[in-house]
Amino acid sequence: MSNNPYLPFRAPILSKTRQTAVDWTYHIGCSLNPVPGQFVEVSLPGVGECPISISDFTPDSVELTIRRVGKVTENLSRLEEADYLYLRGPYGQGFPLEQFAGRHLIIAAGGTGLAPVKSVIRHFAERPETLAGLTILAGFKSPEDILFRPELESWSRSFDVQVTVDQVCDVPVPSPGHVGLITALIPDLAIPSPTNTRAIVVGPPAMMKFTCAELLRRGLKEDQIWVSLERRMSCGLGKCGHCRVGSTHVCLDGPVFNYAKARKLVD
Amino acid sequence: MSLNTKKLAKNAWRVTKDRHLTCLRIRVPGGHLPAKFFPILQEIADRFGDGSVHLTTRQGFEIPGIALAATAEVNTLIAPLIRELEVDQGVQVPAPEEGYPAAGTRNVVACIGNRVCPQAVFDTTSLAYDIEKTIYPNNPHVKIAVTGCPNDCVKVHLHDIGIIGQVEPIYDPSRCIGCQACVKNCRQVSTGALRFHNFKVQRDAERCLGCGECVLKCPTGAWSRGGQYFRVVIMGRTGKKNPRLAAPFLEWADRETVLRICRNLYDYIDRHIDRTLAKEHVGYIVDRTGYPTFRDEVLRDVVLSPRAKVAGFFRPSGYLYDKSALAGQESHI
Amino acid sequence: MGSLIEAAALDELLRLLKPKYRIYAPVRLPGKGRFSDTDLIGYAEINRSRDIVFNERSYFSPKEILFPVNQTLFYFTESQWREPETDDREILVFLRSCDLEAVKRLDQALLHNGPYPDSYYQEARAKVKFVLMECQEEFEGCFCASMGTNESRDYAFSIRPENGAYLCDVREDLEELFGRLGKPREHEPAFVREHKNPVRLPDNPEAFSEHPFWREYSERCIACGRCNVVCPTCSCFSLQDIFYDDNPKVGERRRVWAGCQIDGFADLAGGHSYRRDKGERMRYKVLHKIYHFKEHFGVNLCVGCGRCDYACPEYISFSRCVNKLAELEDSTKAEANRKLGDTSAAVEVKKDVK
Repeated sequence: MSNNPYLPFRAPILSKTRQTAVDWTYHIGCSLNPVPGQFVEVSLPGVGECPISISDFTPDSVELTIRRVGKVTENLSRLEEADYLYLRGPYGQGFPLEQFAGRHLIIAAGGTGLAPVKSVIRHFAERPETLAGLTILAGFKSPEDILFRPELESWSRSFDVQVTVDQVCDVPVPSPGHVGLITALIPDLAIPSPTNTRAIVVGPPAMMKFTCAELLRRGLKEDQIWVSLERRMSCGLGKCGHCRVGSTHVCLDGPVFNYAKARKLVD
Repeated sequence: MSLNTKKLAKNAWRVTKDRHLTCLRIRVPGGHLPAKFFPILQEIADRFGDGSVHLTTRQGFEIPGIALAATAEVNTLIAPLIRELEVDQGVQVPAPEEGYPAAGTRNVVACIGNRVCPQAVFDTTSLAYDIEKTIYPNNPHVKIAVTGCPNDCVKVHLHDIGIIGQVEPIYDPSRCIGCQACVKNCRQVSTGALRFHNFKVQRDAERCLGCGECVLKCPTGAWSRGGQYFRVVIMGRTGKKNPRLAAPFLEWADRETVLRICRNLYDYIDRHIDRTLAKEHVGYIVDRTGYPTFRDEVLRDVVLSPRAKVAGFFRPSGYLYDKSALAGQESHI
Repeated sequence: MGSLIEAAALDELLRLLKPKYRIYAPVRLPGKGRFSDTDLIGYAEINRSRDIVFNERSYFSPKEILFPVNQTLFYFTESQWREPETDDREILVFLRSCDLEAVKRLDQALLHNGPYPDSYYQEARAKVKFVLMECQEEFEGCFCASMGTNESRDYAFSIRPENGAYLCDVREDLEELFGRLGKPREHEPAFVREHKNPVRLPDNPEAFSEHPFWREYSERCIACGRCNVVCPTCSCFSLQDIFYDDNPKVGERRRVWAGCQIDGFADLAGGHSYRRDKGERMRYKVLHKIYHFKEHFGVNLCVGCGRCDYACPEYISFSRCVNKLAELEDSTKAEANRKLGDTSAAVEVKKDVK
């Protein structure tokens, strides 16, 4: 059969780095040239497939940051460098980077929500002059759950990076550290011109809802905010129906949506 | 007044408290009565009885308060009912206008079965007729009941021969969507014979009762109905000595086998009954001869289906009416 | 070309087509009904005209011929994939107008949604031809005319039983065979034009997404998914990987029908689940069938075959639900007009979205 979109390709794990007790970052040898925010279907034969957002990429590799939450990711977590996994993609709509040019960009990410925006941040870290400013708010449950510590450290040299945790423990929080929800940081953010500001909000459903509400309160309009929705993408091709909401297939029309559209999706 | 009570009882009339009155018993094999016979029952009750009809636990009717002198006339009135429910079904009744030819072998009762009930795995009424044809008229006191599924709504476990429908479920994995409706339901309402493995269902044939619940619940028709079989339980009883639930005798037996063992049962009784007694209930005969004798004689000349299984032992649950338990000191409630 | 063909001649025609076609039609499967001693009308390959059931609606739709309940996507060994072999023969399907229209909906969902056509469906679809079984009258609970799917003409030939023979309207490349085996007879297929219980569609049912109306179904629906599996246009599926018990390195990836009413359809890895409530699932399904699909593809997904009503063990009626939505919309509009004190102006029902 020609053009079988379900056939995955085999790709080697170039490296595996532990992020937290349950998250690992893999570099996979393949050339996908995705748009930041897109996802791939990762599979292990005999176990299954699952959608994973691309956390970063180079011309000949993609970086996937995978949390052990289900059967497939559990099995993935046992793979090591030089093992192979299987991929299809990239799929979906990523972040419209061109819309952020010249703007002040606020990126609010909760937990693993930092993964899909990591390559957006890297993109602008390489071209800081294309933005009026970048504020990164990253929230985690506890200091032990903090992802991408070295990257957060390095971004904070060029941008305003604020990390917050729900609860503290012995592990330090990168400075300036906060305790509390991301939403609590928004009222004090410097937003010189709401009309020239754009925002990306990615995280658990409740975090996105309340963070967007706070941003609207600060004068942003709905269409100035983008979110990435977590849905049960399965085939990635707009066929299987699992991620459909109304007339929208998250795997085709998302996972990145403008908030003006996302808030109208009635599940 | 001179009356042969043996003849009266054999003719399905009762000896009652009142020396002048009797009570008519009507058999309704399988408990399914054409409604056109109700006027006959009403006429007998109104003209000859006290205007009432009693519904029996054996799915028949008793019409009380009939003068002993009227039995012959009433017998002629029920002849149409006997013709249609007995003679037309193949039962040998020499003279229907003279009433019932025997009363010892009781009416074959049946649940409503698959003519109405979605859960029934077969047509209980039709089997009840076939059994009636096989065993009636006969004098030994034998109670047989037929139920459409292992829910046993008709309480076959309180009968000498209890027949429970079984269906062999057939699984087509190519139609299974893995919703597990069957697996969950089997665990909940039946024996938990189904297991989900590799996105498909595996059936433990040893544990499966043949209730057909998996077929009822399957949305895609992956489970469908194969052959109809019967589970036979035996020697359940009530009574003043030793009430007990019937215990398994056969499972996955075919219809031919069921009818054959019903017939062989009478040969067994004839061989072993204690004729010094006025009557002996079959369960007590089995207690005396032991289960192996019963099993071997009742299965004589029976060709069992390849799937059929015969119980290796008979261990019914029940108890003796033992007054000491209630007179004892152990229970202070 | 109209043709009258005797049963024996039709059998001969089927026999001649057999080497080239797999021929499917609704047939009676004795004893295969859900309840004991009942039959199932389902799709199977046929050899003779008398196998075709004309006087009943099939319980399952013909979608399973093009979109099997289980379909192996590929077999895998340690580092290789192999796609399953396919049957080279073409496919001839006897079906009714609603089901033929349903295939067009499947085309939209499986071929035209997103940039990549579903290659498995595409391959089967390219091989299929249709025989239109005429509906001279509706079956219980049908409403094809309400959905505009009552008259489908994309057939190789149409067929109607007539006194032991069959009246056909023949198109395409079968004219030669019919010319040889049948007699010329003018014939125009009949179509159902009206229904005992027609269905009226609301303009904007999404406005009632949060309405308490749906709660009735939270109580009544048991999430068995029969409505999904009998529906000729439900095409959702799940992917399953299985490995062979005695060699876990070898296995296959399949796709298997899934249904939005069934538990687990909207589960996420990690435990979260959307639409746990069955009323929400009903709303999700109904709106897709009569509103959301149309937003995207211009035609409604529901084709009015009535199978979901017939299959529901809780006697939930899809068509009644849609009619109630239409009534709800009417009364909401009337109420809005009354409040404005302006009975002449059409008042747009404001979308009630959080």
